[in-house]
Amino acid sequence: MRVFLIFLAAGIGTYLIRVSGIALLSNPEKIPPRVRRALSLVAPTAMGAIVVNSLFLDEAQWRAFGAWHLAALVAIGVALWRRSAGWSMVAGAVAFALLIVAGL
Amino acid sequence: MSVLWSLRSVRKVPSTIAAAPSSGVGSWDPRARLVPMTQPGPPSPESVSAAGRGAVLGIGRQQWADAWAGLKAIAPLMPGSVAFGLAFGALVPALGINSWTGLFASVSVVAGASQISIVESLRANAPAAIAVLTALIINARFALYSAALGPVFSAFPLRWKLGLAHLMTDQAAVVALQHVDTYPDPVRRRWFIVGGALPFVAVWVVGTVAGIVAGPVIPDSWQIGFIVPLMFIAVMVPGLKRPEDMVGLAVTAAVVLAAKGLPFGLNVIVGIVSGIVAGTLFAEWADASRARRGMHQQTVAEAAEHEAEGGL
Repeated sequence: MRVFLIFLAAGIGTYLIRVSGIALLSNPEKIPPRVRRALSLVAPTAMGAIVVNSLFLDEAQWRAFGAWHLAALVAIGVALWRRSAGWSMVAGAVAFALLIVAGL
Repeated sequence: MSVLWSLRSVRKVPSTIAAAPSSGVGSWDPRARLVPMTQPGPPSPESVSAAGRGAVLGIGRQQWADAWAGLKAIAPLMPGSVAFGLAFGALVPALGINSWTGLFASVSVVAGASQISIVESLRANAPAAIAVLTALIINARFALYSAALGPVFSAFPLRWKLGLAHLMTDQAAVVALQHVDTYPDPVRRRWFIVGGALPFVAVWVVGTVAGIVAGPVIPDSWQIGFIVPLMFIAVMVPGLKRPEDMVGLAVTAAVVLAAKGLPFGLNVIVGIVSGIVAGTLFAEWADASRARRGMHQQTVAEAAEHEAEGGL
């Protein structure tokens, strides 16, 4: 029940965020520039935080260097090279599978 | 899912678009589309006559055609939605979360990054308030889309506004904004938007179900948890272009690692806020420099466009 209520609260909050501008704003340029800039930085910082937290830490301790880091490097390299989420996913997944099979 | 489309059209969002009569399912009136518009591109006579020839399931043929066009516009992005749904779904049984609760999460939140952040918070035994707050901070980006979509939806009936708002994923919002000029008629526009947004959410939910079902049979040795950083690397890195993103990301990474001793996974939320503050201050400094050189400031549409390049 606790987990359900957490997702319920997140769902309600997210919906209120989603509907806020649609219901209230007829001119989006009324958003203050500072708020606009901050909102545009949410995605890269949020995703970056999750990547760093899951890649380098495991239950608040440093994760031992291995397949996770090497496969992530492959995914980052391909993402920068091809500028494609799909190719990055495929390359990272294949690299990770090979590294796991190799015993890393 | 990287969305690298231009949103230049949204900067021409009609502020004086004529309000067409409300016409939901079963009550559509073809004349609604003939209300004079201030924007180019009204429906052709052929499309009007086609709409009047009959309805399927109480929905006019023109509406089906517009919804189909919306579906085709978003279809290339659907595999990513399925894959991300799979990733989230696979984490649900791994953490002992009830399958129905996992399904409810994908239906009610409809935002993969925040859903996974909740899972990570649960793994860290974080209090419920912190789990929810972290998710809402991650989803604050939807405020930007919502602001850009306000004028696009302004002529829609209230029930359509309220319903479509729930379906506005990063990808659906971008597709909607991209086709503003193609569909100046509010009736046709809303059918185009729902035709893309609803199936996109549907495949996300289907992916979640598949992940929930497949999760328990995946061996631990596969280390399915790697899907979390991999998915976010794939989504985030191709969209990293602005210097302020790099600054925000660097500060976020440093703070997340430096604050790893904080309880309940609070290092993530502290890292995000620190990165946003640092990136914003850097952007203001850079904007001031550009202004001195006579260059333009970023509009909301440009900010939404950039946001969509790394959204989920």
